[in-house]
Amino acid sequence: MIRYIAGRLPSAVVVLFLASILIFSVMRLVPGDPALALAGPDATPEAIAAIRHSLGLDKSIPAQYLTWIGDVLILDLGRSFVLGGQISDLVLAGLGNTAVLAGSALLLAVVLSLVLSVAVVVWPKKWLTSVVNLLNTLSVALPNFVTGVLLVLVFAVLIPVLPSGGVPPGGYLARPDITFQYLLLPSLCLALPVAAALTRFLSEALRTEMAQQYVITARAAGVPRWNLVTRSALRNALPTMLTVLGIQTGHLLGGAVLVEAIFAWPGIGQLIEQGIGRRDYPVVQVLLLLSVTIFVLIQLLTDIVHAYLDPRIRIGGQQ
Amino acid sequence: MNSSLSTAGLDRRAFFRGSAIAAFAVFGSGSLAACSSAVGEQRSDAVESVEPVRGGTLTLAIPDDVSPAALLTSTTVAGVTISGLVYETLTRYPLDSVVPQPVLAKAWKLSDDGLTLTLDLRDDVTFHSGRRFTSADAEFSLRTYADPKFSAQLRSTAAAITGFDSSNPNTLVLTLAHRTGNIFDLLDLAPIFDPETFDKAVTGESFVGTGPFVFTSRTPNSSISFDRNPDYWVAERPYLDHVEARIVPDAQARLTSLKSGQVSLVAPASLPFRDSQNLAKTSGFATTSIEGAELQIYLGANVTADGLTDVRARKALAYAIDRDRIMSEVYRDTGYAANLPWPKSSPAYDAAKNATYTRDVGKARALVGDLGALPTIPLTYTGASPDFEAAAQIVQANLAEAGIRVELDPVEASIFVKQLIGAEFKGLWLTNHTFAQYVPSTLTVSAYPFNAAHNASKFSSPAYSAAAEGAWQVPDGSSDEAKKLYAELGTQLLNELFLIEIGVVVPQVSAAETVRGLAWTKGRQPQFANTFLA
Amino acid sequence: MTVADQSVDERVWRSRPVGAALTHGQGLAGVLILLVIAVAGIAAPLLTHYGPNEQIEGANLLGASAQHWFGTDQVNRDVFARSLHGIRINLVIVLVAVPVGAIIGSLAGLVSSINSVADVIAQRIFDVILAFPLLILAITLVAITGPGVAPVIAVIVAAEIPLFGRLVRTTVLKVRELPFVESAEVIGAGRWWVLRKHVLPNAVEPLGVQIALSMSVAVFAESAMSFLGIGVRPPDPSLGSIVAGAIPNLDANPAYAIGPLVIVSALVLSFLLIAQGLGKAHRI
Repeated sequence: MIRYIAGRLPSAVVVLFLASILIFSVMRLVPGDPALALAGPDATPEAIAAIRHSLGLDKSIPAQYLTWIGDVLILDLGRSFVLGGQISDLVLAGLGNTAVLAGSALLLAVVLSLVLSVAVVVWPKKWLTSVVNLLNTLSVALPNFVTGVLLVLVFAVLIPVLPSGGVPPGGYLARPDITFQYLLLPSLCLALPVAAALTRFLSEALRTEMAQQYVITARAAGVPRWNLVTRSALRNALPTMLTVLGIQTGHLLGGAVLVEAIFAWPGIGQLIEQGIGRRDYPVVQVLLLLSVTIFVLIQLLTDIVHAYLDPRIRIGGQQ
Repeated sequence: MNSSLSTAGLDRRAFFRGSAIAAFAVFGSGSLAACSSAVGEQRSDAVESVEPVRGGTLTLAIPDDVSPAALLTSTTVAGVTISGLVYETLTRYPLDSVVPQPVLAKAWKLSDDGLTLTLDLRDDVTFHSGRRFTSADAEFSLRTYADPKFSAQLRSTAAAITGFDSSNPNTLVLTLAHRTGNIFDLLDLAPIFDPETFDKAVTGESFVGTGPFVFTSRTPNSSISFDRNPDYWVAERPYLDHVEARIVPDAQARLTSLKSGQVSLVAPASLPFRDSQNLAKTSGFATTSIEGAELQIYLGANVTADGLTDVRARKALAYAIDRDRIMSEVYRDTGYAANLPWPKSSPAYDAAKNATYTRDVGKARALVGDLGALPTIPLTYTGASPDFEAAAQIVQANLAEAGIRVELDPVEASIFVKQLIGAEFKGLWLTNHTFAQYVPSTLTVSAYPFNAAHNASKFSSPAYSAAAEGAWQVPDGSSDEAKKLYAELGTQLLNELFLIEIGVVVPQVSAAETVRGLAWTKGRQPQFANTFLA
Repeated sequence: MTVADQSVDERVWRSRPVGAALTHGQGLAGVLILLVIAVAGIAAPLLTHYGPNEQIEGANLLGASAQHWFGTDQVNRDVFARSLHGIRINLVIVLVAVPVGAIIGSLAGLVSSINSVADVIAQRIFDVILAFPLLILAITLVAITGPGVAPVIAVIVAAEIPLFGRLVRTTVLKVRELPFVESAEVIGAGRWWVLRKHVLPNAVEPLGVQIALSMSVAVFAESAMSFLGIGVRPPDPSLGSIVAGAIPNLDANPAYAIGPLVIVSALVLSFLLIAQGLGKAHRI
């Protein structure tokens, strides 16, 4: 097991390294000179040169890259000149908010898909299957910014029972019931595509399992479906589900950009979008690197969990 | 067949059943009315009485965040909000005139030659840090305002102050290099900073002033919080305990946050005009027009850009634009078409001149025909504003009828401001400007699009500069002598057309009916000392 | 073998040719919907006498009527005409971006399956591209180039390359391990011959599924980018930008949003149905 993890690490590091170079070069391509922007329109050439020196822009490109990556590795993320304040503070706050949103979305998606898939397999009624299929299809075919806007319109404006956006005032832990109401619509919006993908895979996997020899034998012996589904089928379908979940989690950040815009949720999705719009290069560089790191970590985690569940790897097969 | 997941002593079926029940319990209890409603807590009950009520929190939605670089430019709503709540100025204009009223300065005297201004300051004002306000602080603030690095709009007026005398802590004597008609515009706009904490304001960490509200904290990209100033020099004010500004960048989200009760107010000119108009008709909400704080929608032209160098091309633009349609469809008839920037209430207003260029597609085509082939010209505007986007598309269609091809170039708000201040537009741009609601000469010596010395159109001419200087140096901005000079300025603007006015628009502010006592300055800064929730 | 076993075998091993997949069941439904939408888009000038950017005097946010089937928008344009022309732009984006990405990606996958050095390099490049969420890639690219059709296409191409690269590489490796292919190699069949004779036929169906899936994602991606304001440049209509503009005006003209939304959802759905139809056709 340890050997497996150790085997996967080098490629993850290489990916991160290559991604950081890509991010750095791409940022250099965005039009606009940061020194000029900071100096203002009436600055003298000497003032601009001074600012350029203080930003380290007069060094060679590779030297600038090394300085940047060196600082990042010791977690000195620098300051945002557009918004003011330390980038690390900005990122931590945004990351916390996005993590809460993504976490609740994942939880919601898992619960929804479990309930729906198990229901469809345990009660194989045609109408139930059709309804679930329809819901699945809608979740995937409707763009998620549309579902978000519709949810807000229905539940926050027409029948005002839920907040239309923002984070719970006073923090997440102060009053869980209030936090829940703020979280419900945005995490539902983020969760729907994930739930759809999960339901599809899970119901397919469960059906395959239920068609296996041992299940037919057990059914013939009178074991109820519910038992079989929850005891055996679900357990065997777990690895697939986890893989799908891992892939979907990686995509969540992209979905978060849209959801955070609609619900005014101050997470890193919104930070990235606003940062790029404002040409806040130091912030954008850090955020891009962060999103890649998160993705790579999630993939690594998924692979590890999958390997753990696969006894061939866990017990230590020799290749 | 079975995977070797170790069975944890828990029976799997029971586990799933249990977790399902638990999940439903959590979700169910969350929505049962046994606990409080997040939406309910945001609203306050409307009561019929209009007696001021103490206490409460006013939440408002703003479209952008603090930008430390824009501390003195008045180009961000967050900056304007902070300057209205936290800072004060020496004098302040009421909305309906340009006669200055005392704020931190109790009284003043301008010498006969117009070169010395003596201000008597209040002696009972303290900064939020506890320190007493003195004339030295006022001197610091005016000097800072003149510093080129802040790109303040009235910098040229501040630079005309060559001498300060702050020996007496309650009196400030300003010596001016030449007469200026708009010295009180400067005093209306320059915030009084606390020199000891000014460096924190520059970095956006903390803002200390003398105003009715104290800046308490800021979560970047999320919110800005203010507390009541208990030592405010106006007795018994403010009524509110807290003000919370929520940053909501998306226009639609701002509307829904107001309609759903998340916020009680959306900052002026931050909602599309159609939405403000609809809110006026919705029960529970009210929309006010801030007369006296007019904005002007205009099309700017970079006179050094391909296709725009010849004034005939710019005249063609002026004839082609369908101003009436833009004013009625986009701005919902809250304003009026115009060719000159000054609103009806201004001494420089001239109804005849305002009708110089009315829509005449024939004339526009003829002018374009004379010029030969024109290249495609980019038209830059702030993409996030639905009103600017609609107006830009109408302008594009209008110009196409006259034979001018225009390509739309939407950009982000702060990039737009940067290009405006730095004169970096590659062709045409569409936005609004203010500063015409002050003393008329302020426009041409200060505002980025009009500044005779350095403007976004890269236009300069000795005649225009002379007219601007002349109008500026008249001591009484409303006299007949001044009006003659404004007429000359108007003629210059109409002949050179480096900037084509579309119309005058009155900013709308929408709020819940429970918010009372709202007041605004000419610069749309909030004056919430007398605001209460009832 | 019992009946039960037989049914299990059939389900796993039954294979259906592509043609049959597209003319029965889900596949057929998908193809039909796609054809209807595509024809409507191509025949746009015949179906409506308004231009897509024509601003009609006085027609500000009118509701659906006999004259304007989807009503008009906030700049007085007929929404139905815009939607039909928007279909064209969406189809162009999808039918250019995905095949280009597929071809580049497949070539990369082929090369990497043959040469081990290229394999390592290609795998890492794929990983890096996949590590960026699509929308974030899009926002960054548009910051450099400005909005327009070309950046949308570029982003979709970039996102497709690793998907197809991996798919082709996996297919090649899997097929090469099959016993009859190994035997062929033993008796001297060259690598290219194996590719042509065995890999290609087996790759066609999973490739087809992936292409259809990618097309549905591409439609979605364009609409998301338009919502964020980084998609097609105004005033050009694309289904996503029309929907994005319709949302703030829902109270005045609901058809402005509902019409294009139905079209865009149907387009995504049609590709999905085709993908599912093809997917049922073959499982290795």
